[in-house]
Amino acid sequence: MLRIEADRARFREIVRGKIRGDLKRYLSTSELFTRRGERAVSVPIPQIELPRLRFGDNRKSGVGQGAGERGDALDPEGGESAAGAPGEAGAEHALEVEVELEELAAMLGRELELPFIQPRGQRSLLCEGGRYDHIRSRGPDSLRHWRRTFRRALERSVASGQWDPARPRIVPLREDYRFRADRPRPVPHSSAVILHMMDVSGSMGREQKEIVRIQAFWIDTWLRSQYDQIEVLYIVHDAAAKIVDRESFFHLRESGGTKISSAYELCLAQIQTRYRPEDWNIYAFHYSDGDNWSARDTERCMALLRDELLPRVNQFCYGQVKSAYGSGQFKKDLDQHLADLDRLVTVAVNDRSDIAASIRAFLGKGR
Amino acid sequence: MQARARASSGLSAELCLQAERIQALARAQGLDFAEIDFRLLDAQDVNGVAAYGGFPVRYPSWRFGMEFERLEKCRHYGLSRIYELVINTEPVVAYLVRNNSHLEQKLVIAHVCGHADFFKHNSWFSATDRSMLSRIGEHAGLVRAAMEREGQECVETFLDTLLSLETLIDPYLPLRARLGADVQRSAKAPTFDVLGFIAARAPLEDWRRELLEMVRREAYYFQPQRMTKIMNEGWASYWHARLLTAGVLTDAEVVDFADCHSGATADSPGRINPYKLGIELFRRAASRGADLFRLRRAHNDASLIDQLVDAEFVERSRLFLYGANPKTGRAEVVERDPGRVKARLLQDLAWGGLPQIELVAAEEQGERALELVHHHDGRDLDLEAAKATLLCLERLWRGPVTLTTREGGEVRRVQARRGEAEILEA
Repeated sequence: MLRIEADRARFREIVRGKIRGDLKRYLSTSELFTRRGERAVSVPIPQIELPRLRFGDNRKSGVGQGAGERGDALDPEGGESAAGAPGEAGAEHALEVEVELEELAAMLGRELELPFIQPRGQRSLLCEGGRYDHIRSRGPDSLRHWRRTFRRALERSVASGQWDPARPRIVPLREDYRFRADRPRPVPHSSAVILHMMDVSGSMGREQKEIVRIQAFWIDTWLRSQYDQIEVLYIVHDAAAKIVDRESFFHLRESGGTKISSAYELCLAQIQTRYRPEDWNIYAFHYSDGDNWSARDTERCMALLRDELLPRVNQFCYGQVKSAYGSGQFKKDLDQHLADLDRLVTVAVNDRSDIAASIRAFLGKGR
Repeated sequence: MQARARASSGLSAELCLQAERIQALARAQGLDFAEIDFRLLDAQDVNGVAAYGGFPVRYPSWRFGMEFERLEKCRHYGLSRIYELVINTEPVVAYLVRNNSHLEQKLVIAHVCGHADFFKHNSWFSATDRSMLSRIGEHAGLVRAAMEREGQECVETFLDTLLSLETLIDPYLPLRARLGADVQRSAKAPTFDVLGFIAARAPLEDWRRELLEMVRREAYYFQPQRMTKIMNEGWASYWHARLLTAGVLTDAEVVDFADCHSGATADSPGRINPYKLGIELFRRAASRGADLFRLRRAHNDASLIDQLVDAEFVERSRLFLYGANPKTGRAEVVERDPGRVKARLLQDLAWGGLPQIELVAAEEQGERALELVHHHDGRDLDLEAAKATLLCLERLWRGPVTLTTREGGEVRRVQARRGEAEILEA
């Protein structure tokens, strides 16, 4: 069914806004799924609904079938019901599915077609306790391999001329004994650290932080699925930077000026003291609205990136969230001066619908 | 015939035998249908065929890709799946899903016999083109050739424009034409066949006119399925239940059958399940001693419900009216008054569930203009969508297009002129 795959590919390109921008306004949901409670997620089904002469919104009613008293909700879960009018198929734009977190990462990878990451500097550790698929000549009786032992004894008796087909008798000697054994095997061991940095100055509002929160959640989920061990560090900054826990990272509201270099310096210090690039895959993410204190500080940031941070990390991602006050100058500066460095990825996020695209930009290179 | 079926389909010998048996049983019970070409496909491929509306040779469009994506997601996450797909052609093509259980295959084969009989005998299908498979193949060739000449994006955008207008046809036209009415009338205002009028009168390049005629032909082909969804599924379900319990099932399969059958005919809140309502209608008619074969020939969903639904039926089938609670916005049961339930059901099904739009006047000299009227029945249009749709029409007609409708009881005129659409108060 190759032809339908071609049509599907074209549809996906439209959903991602690569072609046919004229259809964007008819798109029902973005590509990213959302969490619903602990286990459930809603998987979006992006639909482009072409305009037609159709009945309007006052039609949230119709004929149903089944039990229920007057006033009973149709949807037992309550909340917004998406009951479609009879005969209007495909009213739903999302499916509710229950999943585990690992499955969620796999879904994310599938939806956004993310490449698997090739960890760099991969160290291999010899791990004990593989499967018992090996044979050796010494071992405890409990692991004795009877068939191999008798075969060995048979070979010996045939070779030494003791074998008498008329009286087929085999007596294994100590030297014939064979034992099951496990084989130590190299197991790739990879670990990674994620450094999330966020501008919490006054101009970063609630919606901006929500976007960062959603984005960071998905990035963590994906990277966790790619590495055995992962550490996450949260750094917030206004004019000065500090390390905080996850809770305050998303909810802290500072005010005052913005000095981005403060965060970059703290990030660098952490890498130097705790996360040696030879042992760690390092991912740094910085989110801000693009305002910085001064042009001089921006220069300082770029020097830090070029000389110190970028050589040490797998990837440095800068996500610029649009806010009412932000000038968006910082991304322009980075793009202008550091465009030649391919470990740096910059993305502008105007609203929630851009989150999927920005995650793909950040993680799409498979670094 | 058996050898041919086996060669083309990939059905196991055992399944072929079952198909023969069930078809013979169906014919003995009075069903009458064209030859059925059963084909076995993987679930994913069946979704592909379903996305193309049953015709794997259909023209390329992102819309089919979108439908495929939706079906595949539903299947992947286990939320719904397709058991079978029947195409109204001659021979009838029926796709069976490879991983159906043996019992499911038998049920589906019997179900398919019901559909095939319905296609052949229901009067609303009497005018459909049974060689649609090759027609659709020709259409695809047309679209591909146009794409090569004019560019994919240009042709695709134009097709999207046409698809916004696809519903502007007269569902009664094919039947009237078959009964000998003057079809040429459709090229004159007033008419409900707006697409036909545009195809005949709008100043279009040849390839655009060809595509417009193509979209119109396909819309007319699929229209009867919209108008008989409940009946068609009800008829097929009525017969699969009768045929299977008349000797096709082994004793061990009865419980699984009951489970599978009740799954397909279960309540789904807030929505009419056509399988369930349909089978209840036919069972009701049977209990009254009505001639079922005559009913399936003469009616569509709306007229069958009009004839059969009464207070007792509404009560026994537990039909109700629902609506949004103005305080919470959530949908809830409003009432079970039989008269009102029936009236609402009829309203929702009339005219294929679409607003009734008539072209009342066309000006072809000087400033070319079109005048449309929405026959308002208490349900308002989505006016924003109407604006965008009229712009599509205006692009084809190359002149202002006006639609008269109502909103909250007030007359509104939606007008598209020179690429701008606005809503005028009368």
